[in-house]
Amino acid sequence: MANNGAKISFKNGLQNQMRDFLKECMKKGIFDAVVLPVRVPANDSYAWILMNDISIVDQANPIPPVMPVQGAKALKSLTRKGDGILKIATIMKPCEIRATIELAKLSQVNLENITLISYDCPGAIPMSIYNNLSDDMEIFYNDVVSENNFVSEKMKEVCGFCVDFSDVPDDLHFGFTGLENEVYIIPNTGKGNSVLEKLEMKSSENLSQWKKNVADIKKIKSKNRIDIYKQVQPTVDGLDNLQKTYEKCIGCHNCQSACPICYCRQCFFDSTASEQSANTLIDIAEKRGGIGFPRDKIMFQVGRMSHMSLSCVSCGQCMDACPVNIPVAKIFSFVSSKTQNTFEYRAGFSGDEPIPLKVYKDDELSKIHEIVKNAESDGSEHE
Amino acid sequence: MKKKIGVYVCECGPNIASKMHIDKILESVKSHNSEDVEIVPIKHKLLCSVQGKKFLEEDIKKQELTHLVVAACSPREHNTTFMNICKKSDLNPYLYKMINIREQVAWVIPDKEKATEKAIQYINGGISRVQYQGELFENKIDAIPDVLVIGGGISGIESALSLANEKRKVVLIEKTDKLGGNSVFYKKLLPRQGAEKDFIAKKIAEVTNNKNIKIHLETELEEILGFLGNFEVTLRNVNNKDNKIEIKIGATIVATGFQLSNPTSFKNVKYKESDEVYTSLEIEKMFSEKGKILLSSGSEPKTVALVHCVGKDEKKYCSQICCNYMMKIANYFKEQSKEIKVKEFYKDLCLPNKDDEKLFRDTEKNGVDFVRIKDIDIQGNEIKYTGINGKNEKTKFDMIVVAPPIEPKAGTKNLSQIIDIPLDEFGFFQEVHQTTNPTGTATDGVFIVGTAQGPKGISNSMLMSQAVSGKIKTQLIPGEKIIPEVKTSEILEAYCMGCKTCLEVCCFGAIYFDEIKGISRVNEALCRGCGNCIASCPSEAIRHKHFTSEQLFQEVIEILK
Amino acid sequence: MSEEKVLIMGSGLPGMRASLLLANAGKTVYLVEKLSNIGGDAIKNEESFPKLECSTCMVAPTQQEVLHHPKIKTMTLCKVEKITGKVGKFNVSIKKKARFVSETDCIGCDACFPPCPVSISNEWEENLIDKKAIFVPCPGSLPNVPMINTEHCLHINGKKKECKACVEACMFDAINLDDKDEMIDVEVGAIIIAIGSETYDVSTLSQFGYGNNPSVYTAMEFERLFSSNGPTKGELTLRKTEKEPKSVAIIHCVGREEQGYCSGICCMYSVKHAHFIKHKLPKTKIYNIHTDICVADKTYFNFVENFRDKETKLIYHSSMKDLKVEKNGNGLSVNYLSGLGAKEKLDVDMVILASAMVPGEENKEISEMIGIDLDNHGFFMTKKDMVGSVESSKEGIFIAGCAEGPKDIQTSVIQAEATVSGVMKIFE
Repeated sequence: MANNGAKISFKNGLQNQMRDFLKECMKKGIFDAVVLPVRVPANDSYAWILMNDISIVDQANPIPPVMPVQGAKALKSLTRKGDGILKIATIMKPCEIRATIELAKLSQVNLENITLISYDCPGAIPMSIYNNLSDDMEIFYNDVVSENNFVSEKMKEVCGFCVDFSDVPDDLHFGFTGLENEVYIIPNTGKGNSVLEKLEMKSSENLSQWKKNVADIKKIKSKNRIDIYKQVQPTVDGLDNLQKTYEKCIGCHNCQSACPICYCRQCFFDSTASEQSANTLIDIAEKRGGIGFPRDKIMFQVGRMSHMSLSCVSCGQCMDACPVNIPVAKIFSFVSSKTQNTFEYRAGFSGDEPIPLKVYKDDELSKIHEIVKNAESDGSEHE
Repeated sequence: MKKKIGVYVCECGPNIASKMHIDKILESVKSHNSEDVEIVPIKHKLLCSVQGKKFLEEDIKKQELTHLVVAACSPREHNTTFMNICKKSDLNPYLYKMINIREQVAWVIPDKEKATEKAIQYINGGISRVQYQGELFENKIDAIPDVLVIGGGISGIESALSLANEKRKVVLIEKTDKLGGNSVFYKKLLPRQGAEKDFIAKKIAEVTNNKNIKIHLETELEEILGFLGNFEVTLRNVNNKDNKIEIKIGATIVATGFQLSNPTSFKNVKYKESDEVYTSLEIEKMFSEKGKILLSSGSEPKTVALVHCVGKDEKKYCSQICCNYMMKIANYFKEQSKEIKVKEFYKDLCLPNKDDEKLFRDTEKNGVDFVRIKDIDIQGNEIKYTGINGKNEKTKFDMIVVAPPIEPKAGTKNLSQIIDIPLDEFGFFQEVHQTTNPTGTATDGVFIVGTAQGPKGISNSMLMSQAVSGKIKTQLIPGEKIIPEVKTSEILEAYCMGCKTCLEVCCFGAIYFDEIKGISRVNEALCRGCGNCIASCPSEAIRHKHFTSEQLFQEVIEILK
Repeated sequence: MSEEKVLIMGSGLPGMRASLLLANAGKTVYLVEKLSNIGGDAIKNEESFPKLECSTCMVAPTQQEVLHHPKIKTMTLCKVEKITGKVGKFNVSIKKKARFVSETDCIGCDACFPPCPVSISNEWEENLIDKKAIFVPCPGSLPNVPMINTEHCLHINGKKKECKACVEACMFDAINLDDKDEMIDVEVGAIIIAIGSETYDVSTLSQFGYGNNPSVYTAMEFERLFSSNGPTKGELTLRKTEKEPKSVAIIHCVGREEQGYCSGICCMYSVKHAHFIKHKLPKTKIYNIHTDICVADKTYFNFVENFRDKETKLIYHSSMKDLKVEKNGNGLSVNYLSGLGAKEKLDVDMVILASAMVPGEENKEISEMIGIDLDNHGFFMTKKDMVGSVESSKEGIFIAGCAEGPKDIQTSVIQAEATVSGVMKIFE
């Protein structure tokens, strides 16, 4: 992350300031269009809107209280089928930016003409709460933003232990942690720099105080994270515990639909390949004294983990989508932290770092062996 | 159509028969009989014997089997045997499955009941799997016998000469404006090699006059696409890059050769500080052109130092030929005048060929001094060294000749990207297997020879050229078609998301990207069926024709039942 | 011209490589091997330098491919007795020694070994272990079919005519004690000689004490001692004391001066041996006592340097004639002259001699039989005054591998493939 940024003071709130910034960019032709969240007419959710008319920008809310659709999915729809010629900017939460970077590595998003903007994220409110109390929640969230409250308990659980709420490889970053009526606009890439240059803004302010503020919050969240992981570990340790955890899964695959990284056209678990004939099932039932439906609850979850955990950005969408309240996101986050550590990889942190599937390191096999060995000895301790 | 699956259990004499109940196995597999499936369970004393093979061949026909499972030894022993029997009996060999009940059951499970049970499970798995196997067919494709040789040095010339004939044309391209490479500068080859300079000249004349060899000087490779038997190549003029030639060939030989490293880059030589420090190649050139080796003043040197292994420690490899050619150069001086005092400084003498030691003895006899050293520093005309006896010495010489390491020709890296051969840690082209396949690369039909692969002398370079010629002559026979691997990967269009992960993990360059559809595709002529792409595909869009998920799934389910 | 057939003498890696290339191009290959198994010397090593990969894994697939190839007639226990004719049409007489075990009926179950009452020394295992009179050289030999030693088999040598223990043990009727030697005549267009080399008889050099001191080993003996399919199953214990050595001296260049050439590969395998010992017995002290270090390939220098000081101490000595191995109590001492010219002494438990590669015993006989030249050393000579050739002094006869001179595997393979180019030219 850059060491310097431009500082702006504002009177009418941060979100206003961000909208003004975008409008100014559009006026100067720096961006032809922007993609921003707008509250839907029924008032109970937000939708991503692509707008090239400056006058609509005021209807957008750059820091929305919820995340109904992961921003990376919106950008994928916009750019997968080829690179448009319009220069587009978008403001997204850090986890949305990271998912976007992951998808770009998998050729699902084209970032050539896209400028990614993010901010110090206070978190998002679970959809289930927002749905019914949306007006109250709007007021509450506005307070959270203006009061700079980064550890509110009302947020999604993953937000509570998100240590990367500010650290994100965006082109431009709005940093305001611990600041009052002030925000730093921080250019992190060449793209970001050129935006500021065109606006004739000097990024000469030292960021050390802000960085310290961020680090303080990070400390609290790190501690939360350790606590949560400690809670999660026994619930997924071994097949029996996994079985217990996923017992109530109804096989709706909502978690898969909500996941920004799960991008396959046809999921293996929805395909005929995983279907079995009645005879086979009866055979298995005979052997085990009965089998449950839907089938493959654990297979599906573990399969998704093995496919996706290296790219998981812990955005929590899967958990928000789960109708039976399985803590999918906490489990994913825990497992991902382990797999990503193994391959010395952090999903979405750098566009230049190839995904582990594409690279082979001589020592990775022995490392995995070590992890398995450790896991086995951990397991015996639990017993 | 009803499936008729033959399940042949080989007793392997007592090896299998005494370790399990074969009849129980035969009885048990009948449980697969159904409306759609008929099992034909048969045991035989020794299926791999002459009688056994004949019996199986006839029985497949007689029983009109649609599928075959053979439960016997390791597929490593006899998979090919039984596949060939299938072919003879007109059963597609990919509708057959071999189950190992000897090494994996009979020899490792002492309990007869348990062994029987395990064998039944394995065979059940095979019966289940074989039903999901599909017919695969060998696909014969036309092959062009012609060859492109890149590099007109001695390796390239030898490659062209040993390959070209009426039925096989060779295109030889050379970046510079003349053939012969470094070797044209040598006044003499090593004494043991008998021949003198006209050996090279004769080779050049021979290649120039061969009507089956087309030579393009000042030409380089722009692009190469394709696979063994069918490469499409674009060549271009070095000076005028728009001047292009397109050709089709069946194989390519990379013979781009070497250059001497710049001795100024090594810490123990201050090369340019004196005009009288020369590289070995400069001496060769001088001797070739002038017939004499003289100081820049024009007078003859009275004392000469030859310093071996300059830069070896930095490069971390031995250049293999320097000890030999330094002795040759020592003899040049002695030939010029017996009075010239010649001293060779070396750390280890590398004399790996059977006649090298004789050259060393002869050179010694010729009055050349050999000094084994631990360390050496060349400062202008002065040499400071520590002898093997630990003593530090300092001596001035009229002339100093150094032997810098051989390094890959400039442009090697660029070519490696065009032709897609990786480079090794030293920058030479990387062979596919150092010990057993030193001339092959990961791409079938692309070969490396001579010093492009690593330091070596003329003789070994030429042998390498002939080795590649031996391979090409036996793989690309004029008028004959080639049969690529049958068990390849295939990409299911409907599933592919175009993330290109597979492109990066394929070792054989067998996957390309279809820009119009935005999906990856397999070039079946290049695919060897290794399965890397399948394992890496995040969307499960790739499958192996003979190892589909379904085949494996069904086999495993049956075994685990 | 006869049908396109080739005779290849010697079934080591070069012979097998040439066989496969030619057979894949549709030529009929007679692969003649004097031993009962194919694969040559490479399979005696546990791991090969420089990549230290398992030799069996490297060679076995090639052996299998050769044995299963319909165009290759693998002729083990065979010796070429007579060659007449010229390029395009050589008439070859081959004597096939009786194996007494049918290659088609035997399945290699080993049931015939235990009942055999005779034990003899196993020379393939460098005489480090015994074998029966019916035997395979080592477990995993290919083809996996035993042979009977006619000299020692009690039935065959007549000492106990009624002994048919092996026949009774065989469940496949694969053993025929009345088997006879036979002569086979073939006609071929070209011949490749790839019969390899032998090692210097170090017992003739008294200074190293080989033969007198059981703890002095040849490099080949050590290879078998270390091999997991060898006499001790890879356990590194000394032959008399059965103790693990605490210190080992590996002496390079044994026989070099006598032969008048450097064998080119001993430095590499000697350092490999140091690494082997260090790997199995990490506390053992190892010394490589050398003259010139010859590392003539791009990766060889690093191979030696990576182990220098870490796994073995490389000691330069300045005079071969001053190097002596002597008995010292229960151990050995190596006396040598250092680089400084000082007399030094090193006490060790074990000495390994890296003996020179020397021409095969049969080279002379074969060269006279065919009428081709040998060089001064006794190796087969390629065309005189011809740089980069694999053709002998007679047209249509080619030389590959160590039959031509000492070399590593990769150069041997290159030569073998080069002979194929020459053979194919004859058939054009």
